[in-house]
Amino acid sequence: MEQKITGAEAFWRSLLEEQVKVVFGYPGGQIMPVYDHYWNYQAQIRHVLVRHEQGAIHAAQGYARASGIPGMVLVTSGPGATNVVTGVADAMIDSTPVVVVAGQVPCQLLGKDAFQEIDLIGMATPITKWSYQIRRAEDVAWAVSRAFYIARTGRPGPVVLDFTKDAQAGLVDYAPKPCHFIRSYVPDPQVSESQLDEAARMIDEARKPFVVYGQGILLSGAEKELAAFLEKGAIPAGSTLLGLGALDSGNPHLKGMLGMHGNLAPNVMTQHCDLLVAVGMRFDDRVTGKLDTYARQARIIHIDIDPSEIGKLVPVDLGIVGDARKVLAGLTERIAPRTTREWQMEPILCDAVEKHKVIEPEIQPGTGEINPGEVVACVAEAVKGEALIVTDVGQNQMLAARYSRFVRPHSFISSGGLGTMGFGLPAAIGAKIAAPERTVVVFLGDGGLQMTFQEMGTIMQEGTDVKIVLLNNNWLGNVRMWQQLFFQERYSCTRMLNPEFTGIAQAYGIPSLHVETREELPSAIRQMFAQEGPFLLDVHVREESMVFPMIPPGSSVDEIMLNNEDWFNYGD
Amino acid sequence: METEKLFEITAYTENQVGLLSAIAGIFTRRSLNIEKLLVYPSQIAGIHKFKIITRAAEAQIQTVVLQIEKKVDVIKSYYEVDNERSCREIDDVRQFLQERETESNNI
Ligand SMILES: Cc1ncc(C[n+]2csc(CCOP(=O)(O)OP(=O)(O)O)c2C)c(N)n1
Repeated sequence: MEQKITGAEAFWRSLLEEQVKVVFGYPGGQIMPVYDHYWNYQAQIRHVLVRHEQGAIHAAQGYARASGIPGMVLVTSGPGATNVVTGVADAMIDSTPVVVVAGQVPCQLLGKDAFQEIDLIGMATPITKWSYQIRRAEDVAWAVSRAFYIARTGRPGPVVLDFTKDAQAGLVDYAPKPCHFIRSYVPDPQVSESQLDEAARMIDEARKPFVVYGQGILLSGAEKELAAFLEKGAIPAGSTLLGLGALDSGNPHLKGMLGMHGNLAPNVMTQHCDLLVAVGMRFDDRVTGKLDTYARQARIIHIDIDPSEIGKLVPVDLGIVGDARKVLAGLTERIAPRTTREWQMEPILCDAVEKHKVIEPEIQPGTGEINPGEVVACVAEAVKGEALIVTDVGQNQMLAARYSRFVRPHSFISSGGLGTMGFGLPAAIGAKIAAPERTVVVFLGDGGLQMTFQEMGTIMQEGTDVKIVLLNNNWLGNVRMWQQLFFQERYSCTRMLNPEFTGIAQAYGIPSLHVETREELPSAIRQMFAQEGPFLLDVHVREESMVFPMIPPGSSVDEIMLNNEDWFNYGD
Repeated sequence: METEKLFEITAYTENQVGLLSAIAGIFTRRSLNIEKLLVYPSQIAGIHKFKIITRAAEAQIQTVVLQIEKKVDVIKSYYEVDNERSCREIDDVRQFLQERETESNNI
């Protein structure tokens, strides 16, 4: 019989069982037994010491989204745990598989306001897929494997384990307890054949069907099935922000990105189709605009693995619960092959207007200050769709989404549902660690970069090769834009006095360049990519830049501003 | 606006600490008032039963019930307009558990 081991050691053994390769973490009092045992596991598992626990969780999210493998976070109790809460909420709304393990005070001190005690389970419950307090060493193996199983299966999401110090210290006869089944939990619901038949009939009958898809395609690995479905049915499609990369940007069926700052065509087509097929997306209000007018003319089919998404926001004619890959394969089998649909002018006209009124002025202004979109386009030109693009939140995010190109899945990582500033830099670290063979570029604003700038230290220590592109406008740009458009140009508290970012990069030993003029830009970008290792490119962009097109909040998705003066009017 | 009615929500769950607040949170975030709440062992050994009476619009209740069922440790959840309930659920739950057991044996 094997010797008994501590709960802390059982924890590392359990992580090995789950094939965990990387842990993002930060130590502290109530997790010290676990950190102590790491000493013996350094060769098998890499620990990345971040500079702030928020950095750990966003890095784990970036890791998970680049690889599809759950990201792992290890922190201490109290402030260590509260510091990860933002990222846990972010992972919940963006369906990202992460497992967070936090230290907790010993059981006999629970509920007694002990030093660094917080009710983590109470805090985490509404923002996790599952959370559990480990109070005995015997439960470690069970809880860890169950955590990973829940995080990665079905609609993925974050799991929090609250690991009491006595469970870490307690002794156990360790044996792995793999989890492949929980009787109350159905991660892969059986797809109804009769619903597939009915959906296929609706698609065959439709004159102008339109597909809107989201991250569900990437999460289920349904990229090929989606492309085959669109091809066989000759159906055009639009992607949500988080769905980007699921189809090649050059796919002829792809009409662009949906939503507030999306392309004209997919938003207009939403209002002109006679059948809307939504796959792996959840009708976020940034996508639907005003719900009362959203696709009211169309019949609607909603396909999602999460039954509670069906009918939550948009009343549907048919809801199919199931894995996107299986449902799309089943539909492709059933639908009649088509070469054309009755779509005619909508996409062509929309694209022409958008090119002339929005895209060209943004990315080829010719003279004047550098536009932020121009920087994205310039980088896109250099990487030819091969890079993994990470963004922060704000104008930088929308422009990175609009002007990047993607030729393969898992190439776009951004905080969608929560819109967490500070996500970008640590997420890029995690993404690069998950996909070392890929070029990772992160676009950020000067506001968001400074929310987690301390992770430059992690980059330095780990030597993580991320290309940091700062679209520096000395404003909280996105908020400034809203103040200009909707708050009578009252620029309350959005001007930023910034440091010299290249000086900070230098202090961390990270090479950098500051760019002021259009002429310097291409060579600076070339230099950034030519050089191995991390790089900061600080581009001074037009301070009062805007992101267009824009569907103002509360408007229908075909009420679209093209610039400060013009609105789009389909049919004019 | 859809009219509000009294609904009786039933949930069969594993006996797990924290489920009560997890389920209550689904009501709190919508400002739904819980008019009556009962938690007790069901007729199936080891399985707990929640009865929740609340006033809301039916469309909202549909999502609420699905979000309750979405919790990992919730086995099944149903709703009915108060006082019109049928007695089929317990058979449903038994059948569900039997199917799951067969499934787990096949893994
Ligand atoms: C943590 C957090 N706080 C506040 C906001 C609100 N917010 C959204 S965009 C934005 C401005 C972002 O400015 P910056 O990072 O400079 O990027 P830009 O929009 O200029 O590209 C703010 C404050 C947010 N999304 N997240």
